Amino acid sequence: MGFFFRDVLRGTKVMNPFFVLFSLFFLTTVAMGQGNFSISGYVKDQDSGETMIGVSIVLVGEKTFTTVTNHYGFYSLTIPKGEYQLSVSYVGYEPYVIPVSISQNLAKNIQLSEGVVIQEVIISADREERRKNVESTQMGTIEVPIENIKKLPAIFGEIDVLKSIQLLPGVLSSGEGNAGFYVRGGGPDQNLVLLDEALVYNSGHMLGFFSVFNSDALKNTTLIKGGMPANFGGRLSSVLDIQMKEGNDQRYIVEGGIGLISSRLTVQGPVVKNKSSFIISGRRTYILDLVQPALKGGKFEGTNYYFYDLNTKWNYTFSDKDRIFFSGYFGDDILKFRQATRNFYFDMPYGNKTATLRWNHLFNHKMFMNVSAIYNDYRFTFTGGQEDFVFKLFSGVKDWNLKAEVEHYYNTIHTLKYGANYTYHTMTPNTAQASSGEVEFSSNLQSKYGHETAVYFLDDMKLSNKWHVNAGIRLSAFQQTGPYTSKIDFKEYGRLESVKTYGGLEPRLSVNYRINKDLSFKSGVAATTQYVHLVSNSSSTLPADVWVPSTETVKPQRGIQYAAGIFKNLQNDIYEISFEVYYKDLKNQIDYADNYVADISKDVEDAFVSGIGRAYGAEFFIKKSKGKLNGWIGYTLSKSERSFPDIESGRWYPAVYDRPHDLSIVANYNLSKKWDFGAVFIYGTGKLYTPVSGFFLIEQNLNLFYGPRNSARLNDYHRLDISATYTPRPDSKRKFKGSWTFSLYNTYNRKNPFFINYETQSDFESGKTSIDATQITIFPLIPSITYNFKWND
Amino acid sequence: MIKIKNTDILKYWSFVLFAMVVFVSCEEPFTPDTSLYEPQIVVEGYVETGIGSLPAYVFLTKSIPFIASIDGQDFGDLFVKNAEVSVFDGDQTVQFTALCLQDLPDDIKKKAGELLGINTDSLQSNICVYIDLADQLIRAEGRRYDLTVKVDDQILTATTTLPSGVDLYDFKWVEPAGLAIDTMAELRVMVEDPAEEANFYRYLTATERDRQFIPPPFGSVIDDAIFNGKAFEIPLQRAQRRNGDFDPDTFGLYVRGDSAYIKWCTIDKAHFDFWNTRDYAAANSGSFSSYTRVTSNIQGGLGIWGGYTVRVYRLYCPPK
Repeated sequence: MGFFFRDVLRGTKVMNPFFVLFSLFFLTTVAMGQGNFSISGYVKDQDSGETMIGVSIVLVGEKTFTTVTNHYGFYSLTIPKGEYQLSVSYVGYEPYVIPVSISQNLAKNIQLSEGVVIQEVIISADREERRKNVESTQMGTIEVPIENIKKLPAIFGEIDVLKSIQLLPGVLSSGEGNAGFYVRGGGPDQNLVLLDEALVYNSGHMLGFFSVFNSDALKNTTLIKGGMPANFGGRLSSVLDIQMKEGNDQRYIVEGGIGLISSRLTVQGPVVKNKSSFIISGRRTYILDLVQPALKGGKFEGTNYYFYDLNTKWNYTFSDKDRIFFSGYFGDDILKFRQATRNFYFDMPYGNKTATLRWNHLFNHKMFMNVSAIYNDYRFTFTGGQEDFVFKLFSGVKDWNLKAEVEHYYNTIHTLKYGANYTYHTMTPNTAQASSGEVEFSSNLQSKYGHETAVYFLDDMKLSNKWHVNAGIRLSAFQQTGPYTSKIDFKEYGRLESVKTYGGLEPRLSVNYRINKDLSFKSGVAATTQYVHLVSNSSSTLPADVWVPSTETVKPQRGIQYAAGIFKNLQNDIYEISFEVYYKDLKNQIDYADNYVADISKDVEDAFVSGIGRAYGAEFFIKKSKGKLNGWIGYTLSKSERSFPDIESGRWYPAVYDRPHDLSIVANYNLSKKWDFGAVFIYGTGKLYTPVSGFFLIEQNLNLFYGPRNSARLNDYHRLDISATYTPRPDSKRKFKGSWTFSLYNTYNRKNPFFINYETQSDFESGKTSIDATQITIFPLIPSITYNFKWND
Repeated sequence: MIKIKNTDILKYWSFVLFAMVVFVSCEEPFTPDTSLYEPQIVVEGYVETGIGSLPAYVFLTKSIPFIASIDGQDFGDLFVKNAEVSVFDGDQTVQFTALCLQDLPDDIKKKAGELLGINTDSLQSNICVYIDLADQLIRAEGRRYDLTVKVDDQILTATTTLPSGVDLYDFKWVEPAGLAIDTMAELRVMVEDPAEEANFYRYLTATERDRQFIPPPFGSVIDDAIFNGKAFEIPLQRAQRRNGDFDPDTFGLYVRGDSAYIKWCTIDKAHFDFWNTRDYAAANSGSFSSYTRVTSNIQGGLGIWGGYTVRVYRLYCPPK
C-alpha cells in the first residue's frame, strides 16, 4: 500500500494533526502512575447467551471508573489496586452489582437477566447507564435497541429499523412511507449502512417502502450522525451500524409473526451449548401470491411480485480468547410481468448478498482484536422482451473487504483503537444487451474497479473528571484501476493498472467538558471523504440507480462537520436532554444536470455535474427511558443548500433534503403486563420540488417548463400512528407464547401529498386547451394486525 | 342454502387483502403558485430537405401559465403575429411571411393546413405561421441555417443544420407478438448507420387514412450510440396523437390493407437533444421522477429550430 500513501501524503499537511495526537498521548501516558490492573470480560444476556453491546460498566472506589461494552460485548478497565463496587447496567435488565477487589488482572464475565428489581443500590447503577448521555464524548450518536423499535407502530405491521431512526432529530425520511433517509442535510448515498460490518448498498425493498432489515434477526442499531469516530469512514453524513443476533446458545427458540403482507420465522439455538450457536431468520411477502388465482387465465397471468430476506449467523467460541462469527444476508425483490396479448414479459430481480467472517482475539486483558473478511454484492437485473426480441440490463456493486482493528485499553486514561481497512470495488454501470433474432447489440460499458484503503488511529482520553477527549486520524486512499479507457486522453489501461489515485486526511476530534455530574458541553469536528457515489434523478433512490466509484473525472466527495451541544440529565437521570448545533461544509457534490435523460447506452458519470454544499441546523432531543410512560421528543431546525455552476448558474438553492422543521414525538405506555400502547406523531415542513412554471406548445401538444430548482414545497407533512400490543398470557409458563399487535397508520387520515401530477389536453383545431393539476396522496388510514409467537425449548 | 367453494373463499380473500394493502392513492385538485411565472416566446420552426420535404416555416407562440382552460379565441391569441422572422442560409437572408390561416381564402387555407398538418375545416382559432413562401432558402444537406426572430424589443436566435441523409434500405411486415391479430401488423425497417460520425434520427408516421405525420408518443428519436456503423433492424410504431385513445393491445400496429407513410429524418445533435429531453420529460413526470428541463437551441426563448434531412416512404401493408 506504500504507493497509495506516498501519493496521498505528497503535498498534504500530515504532521500537524499527527503531532498533536501523539503529544497528547505521550504527555498523559508519562503522567500516569504505575501499579494499575485490568478487569475485563464479556457481558451476556443470561437467558440467550447473546453478548450485549453498550452496557455500562462502573467501578466505584476512591475514584469512579466507567466504560461500556464494545460491539462484541467485551469490556476492559484499567484501574489502580483497591476495593471497588462493580455495577453493570442496561435498560430493561436487572442491574448487576458486586464488590470486587483488584490486586491483579481480573477476568470477569457477567450475565444480565431481563427485568428490573427496585432496590436503592440497583437504581443508582441503572442511572449510570443513562449517564452515558453526559459522560461520553460522542455527539449525534444514538443507540436504538431493537426491542424499543418493536414497540413502535408500523405501516402494515412491518417493523422497520430504518423508519424508526427517521424519528430521531436530524434524520429525515426520503418520502412518504419510504425507508430511505437523509441525515443532517446530506444525500442518501452519504449514509454508511452496515449489517454485521458488511456494507449494504441498497437498503430498500419495494422501491424503498420497506427496508431490507428483518427486525427479528437484529440485536442492536447505532446511528452516528455527527462526530464520526476515526474507525468509520467512506461516507460523509452518517453511520448506521446494525448488528445481527448471534443465536441463543442455551436452548432452541422458534419465533415469528404473521402479518398482512408478509410473515417471518426465526429459528435459533445452540450448536454446542455455551460454545456455539446459530440463528436463521427469514421473511417473505405474499400478497401477490394470494391474488394469483384471480390472475389465472387473464391477460396478466404469471405476473407477480414479492421480496424475501434470509439472515443467517453462526458462531463458535474456541476459548476465552478466540471466537469466530460467520454471518450472511440474502435478500431479493422479484418482479415478474407477463402480458399475454402482446406476449410481452419482463423479469426484474434485484437484491443484496453479504457474507461476513469475523475473528475476535483477546491478546490480553487490555487488547481486543477483530479481523473481518467481508463480501457484499448488490445486483440489479432486467430481462424483458417480446417474441425474438430480448433486452437485458445489468448493474451492480461487488466488494471484497478486509478489516483489522485493535482496541487497546491502554491505561486509566487512554483507550486506543487502531486498524486498517481494504476494499476492492467492482462497480458495473447499466450494461445493456439486446438481441433480435441473430442480430445482437450491447452498450459496451465497462465495469469500473478500485482499491479503497484506510488506516486509522484514535485515542479516547479521560483526562480528568471534567475533560474527556476522543481524538483520531484517518488516512484514506482510493485508486481507480483498469481495465479502463481514459475519457481524457483515450489511453487504454490494463487490469489492475493505476488510472487515478486520490487521498484523504481525515482528522476527527470530540471533546466533552463535564460542567457538573448532570450537565456537559460537547463539541467536535470531523473531516470525511467519500469515494463511491450514487446519484439519483428520482425523488427517492430506486433499485436501478447505479453506484459509481471516483474516477479520473469524478472526484471524491469531501465534507467537514462542526458540532457543539449541551447535554443534561434531569430528575435523577430519568430525563435525558440534549441540544446540538452543527454546520457542514461539503465539496465535490454530484448531481445530474437539469436536462438529464437516463440513457443506458451512456456512462452515467458523463451526465454528472459537480458543486458544493452546506448544511446547518439545531437539534433538540428529550428522552424518557424509565417508567410506564417512556419515549422521546425530537425537533430539528435546519437548512441544506447546494451550489453547482451548471445548475441555476451557480446560485445557492435549497437541496432536496432541506426541510426546515422536523418534529417527532414517540411514546410507549405499558398499561399492564397484557397491554402495551405506542404512538408516534410526526410533523415536517413540506418536501421541496421543482415546480412547473408554465406550458408551451410544440407539435400541437402542451409541454411543461419548470421554475427554479427546488423552489416550491408540498404542503406540510404530519401524521399520527398508534399501536396496541396484547399478550393474552404474559405469565404463562408454557413453551408457546403469542401476542397480537394492532396498529393504525395515519390515524386521522391526513392527506399528505406525495407528488403533483399535471394532465394537459390541447386541440389545435378547436383551440380548446385544459390543464389539470392534482395532488396525489398514497397512504391513507391503514389498519393492520400482526400475530407474533415464540416457542421456547 | 348458499354454498361457497373453497376456491371462491380464496379468491374473495385475495381481493380483500389486495384491496387493503394496495396503495389506495387519492387525488385532490391542486392550484399551483403562478407568481413566479415569466412569459416566454416559443419557437417551433423547421427547415427540411429531401424528397417530400416542406418549405421552411416557424410557429411563434407565447407560453402560458397554469390556467384551467383556454377557448378557441384565447388560443388564437397565443400566436405571435407581429414578429419579424428571417433565416440566413449561408448565402442569403430570407424574410419569412406571416400567414394567419383565418385571413386566407378557403382554398389556400386548406392547402396551407394540409402542409402544416392542421385540419382547417374545424379550425376555430386564428393560427399564424411564418413561412418561406417563395421557397427561397437553399435547402440542402450539409448547410447551416441561422434563424433570427424579432418580437417587439426581443431578439431570439437559433442555428440548425441539415445533416447527410441516411436511407431505410429495407422493411418488412411481421405478425404482432402475442395473440394473433389478423387485421394488423408490425413494421420493421432496416438502417445502415454510417460509422464515421454520430448520427441522430427522428421518425414520424402517417397512414393512408390519416395523412398527417405525427411522432410516436413514447420516444421519437434514436441515436447510434449502441449501433454505430452497424446495420440494424428496428420496429417503427404507428404514431398516435398524445391525447387520443390508447389501446395497449394494438398500440404501434398498422392496419392491414392500409399504407404506412414513414417520414425518416436525420437530424443534428442539438435537434436530437431537444426531442430527447422533450420525450423523456413527457414520459417521466410521475411519482418517483424528478424533472427534466427540455434542452432548447433557442437563445432568448423556448422551443426548437430544427433541420430535417427527410426520406419519406410509402409502405403498403398487405392483407393477410
